Amino acid sequence: MTDREVATDGGAVAESGEPASASGGSALSRLRERDDFVVVASAAALIVFPFLLVDVLGIVGDVIGLSIGGYTGLPSLVLIYGIIVIGFNLLLGYTGLLSFGHAAFFGSAAYSAALFSQVVPSPLLMVVVGTLVATLLAWPIGFVSIRRSGVYFAVLTLTFGQALYFYALGPGSWLTNGDNGFSNIEADGLFLGALPFDAPLTPLPFLDSYTVMYGFAAVSMLVAVWVGNRIINSPYGLIFEALGENEERVEFVGLNVFRYKLMAFVISAVFAGVGGALFVIHEQYIHPTTGLYWIQSGDFVIMTVLGGTGGLVGPVFGAFVFEYVANVVSGVSLPAIGSIGSLWRFVLGAVFVTIVWVFPRGIYGAGEDLVAMLTDRSGGEGGGDTAAADGGERE
Amino acid sequence: MTLLRTDGLTKQFGGLVAVDDVSFQVDRGETRAVIGPNGAGKSTLINCITGALEPTAGSVEFDENDITNLSPHETVQTGISKSFQTASIFPGMTVRENVEIAALAAEHGSFEFNFLKRLSGFSAVHETADQMMSAVGLLGDDDTEAGSLPYGDKRRLEIAIALASEPELLLMDEPTAGMSPDETADTVDLVERLQEELGLTILIVEHDMEIIFRIADRILVLNRGQVIADGTPEEVQESERVQEAYLGGVEL
Repeated sequence: MTDREVATDGGAVAESGEPASASGGSALSRLRERDDFVVVASAAALIVFPFLLVDVLGIVGDVIGLSIGGYTGLPSLVLIYGIIVIGFNLLLGYTGLLSFGHAAFFGSAAYSAALFSQVVPSPLLMVVVGTLVATLLAWPIGFVSIRRSGVYFAVLTLTFGQALYFYALGPGSWLTNGDNGFSNIEADGLFLGALPFDAPLTPLPFLDSYTVMYGFAAVSMLVAVWVGNRIINSPYGLIFEALGENEERVEFVGLNVFRYKLMAFVISAVFAGVGGALFVIHEQYIHPTTGLYWIQSGDFVIMTVLGGTGGLVGPVFGAFVFEYVANVVSGVSLPAIGSIGSLWRFVLGAVFVTIVWVFPRGIYGAGEDLVAMLTDRSGGEGGGDTAAADGGERE
Repeated sequence: MTLLRTDGLTKQFGGLVAVDDVSFQVDRGETRAVIGPNGAGKSTLINCITGALEPTAGSVEFDENDITNLSPHETVQTGISKSFQTASIFPGMTVRENVEIAALAAEHGSFEFNFLKRLSGFSAVHETADQMMSAVGLLGDDDTEAGSLPYGDKRRLEIAIALASEPELLLMDEPTAGMSPDETADTVDLVERLQEELGLTILIVEHDMEIIFRIADRILVLNRGQVIADGTPEEVQESERVQEAYLGGVEL
C-alpha cells in the first residue's frame, strides 16, 4: 500500500521535471550512463587537474616548506597510467580476472611505437601501431591463459609477461637495445611537428604546466572514458559484471563464457597498448624494466585496487596517488628522517594498506559512500522516492 | 510429441557407474519427475543432459537434434534451461540485472560483438525481464540487490533467471530444497502456474514425495544409476522395486 503511494508520488515528480529527482541515487546513475555527461564531467576535471597538482600544490608547498607540488610532466604521466587502469579494471573489477602480465601489452606497445617512430615519427600513428601490436599479442596470450582460472590464470599471464621481458633484455636486444634501453625516439609534435610536445598549450605564462603533451594525453583520456563508458553500459558491461560474480551461472544462461572473458582480456590490452604508446611518446625512453618487468604489471594491480574497482574511473585516482607518491613524495625531504627517495615504496605500501583496510572499495568507493551519506542527510527520502518511481514507470 | 529423449545414457566416474544405461523420454507439455534415493544418479543425469558432464556412452536428443556433446551454453541456446538446487544468482547485481542477463542471452545468442551498443536499447530484453519477474512475483523488487533477498525469494529469482532464457524445457533441480513449508507450497503453486501460463515442459528432480505425486505427470525412478520404474504416479507407487529401494520392502 505504501509502495503504491510512493510510486504515484514519484511518477508525478518525474513528470514535473528533472530537478526534483536530481538528488536521487538512481537519477545519478542514469546521469552517469549518459556519455555526454561523463565526457563533460571528465573534461572539466582534466582542465583543472594540472593547475591543482602543479600550481596550487606548488604554492602550498612553498608556504609549508616542503616540495609537494607536482612537476610539469606529472599530470600527463598520471593520465597515461589512468588510461591503462581504466581498461585493466574492466578485467579485474568487472570480470574478476586478475592478470599479472599486463606489462606485456604496455611494453610491447611502447617498444613497437618506439620502433615505428624510427620510420614515421607521427605520434598518432605510433599510438595506432602500438595499440595494434598489443591487441594482436593479447589474442594468443588470452586464448591460452583464460582456459585456466584464479591463481593459474594469474601465473600464466605472469609467465607470458616475464618471457617477453627476458626476450627484450637478451635475445631480442637487436630490436630493443636490451639493457641499455631504447632511447632515440623521434616523435614529432602534433600536426606534422607544428606543435612540439613540450610547447605550452596556452600563451598564459602561469599555466605552463598545460603542455601539448598534456593536451594529447587528456584527449586520449577522454576517448578512453567515452569508450569505457560505452562498454560498461553495453551488454558487455552486464556480462563482465556477471562473470565476476558467478561464472557458472553465466554459462547456464546460454552465454559463451570463454569468448566473453577473452574479449575482456583483449579490451583491457587495448587500453594498456594505448597507454604504452603514449608512455613512450611522453618519456622518449623505454627500458625492459619499465616496460615489461612483472613489477610494472603489479603496479597496474596496485593502482586499480587503490583507486577502487567499483566504477569506471575509480582506478584513475589510484594511478594518481601511485604516481604522486612515486614522483613527488619521493623527492620530499623531511626534517628528522631526511630525503624519502627510494623509500617511496614504503610510503606507497603504508598508503595502500591504510586505504584497503579503511576503505575496502578504494578511494573511489570511499568517495561514493561520502556522497551517498551527504545526499541521504540532505535529501532524506528523495532517493527512495525516485527509486520507487522507476519501478512504477516500468510497470 | 517427444521433446527430450535419452538413449542408453551412461556416465562412469572411474569404477563407479553413476548413470547406467538410462533411456527415457519427456513429452512436450508434461511435468516429468526424476526421483530416487541419495546417490541414485539424479543430478548426474541432469548434468549429462545440460552438458555440464560429458556422458561416457549413449546420446541425448532434444527436439530431434542430437545434443549429446554440446557445452552448457549451447544446450541452453537450443532451449533447455536449468534452475539450480542452490540459488545460483548474481548476488551483487539487482534483481532486474539478474533476469536481464538471461533474457539478453536468449535474445542475441551466446556471443555478439556489440560492446559499443547500449544495453538500454534492447527493449525486448527489458520486456522479457519484466514478464519473468512478474511471473515469479519479484517485479516490485527489481531494484533490490539480489544478495539481500530472503532465501525463498532468491530461489524464485533463480527460477526467473532460468525462465528468462525462454526455454522449451525447464530442468528444476530440487526447487524446494531448504525451504520452509510455506515457501514450498508457494513454489509448487508457482511451478504449476508457470506450466500452464508459459506452456513449459518441466523435468523436475525432487525429494519431497508429496510434491512429486501432486505435480508430476510421469515419474522416472532411479536407483544406483539404473531405471527401476518409469510411469504414472500410480504405477510408480505400486511398483515393488520402488518400495524396496525406498522402504526396504516394507508395505505401504
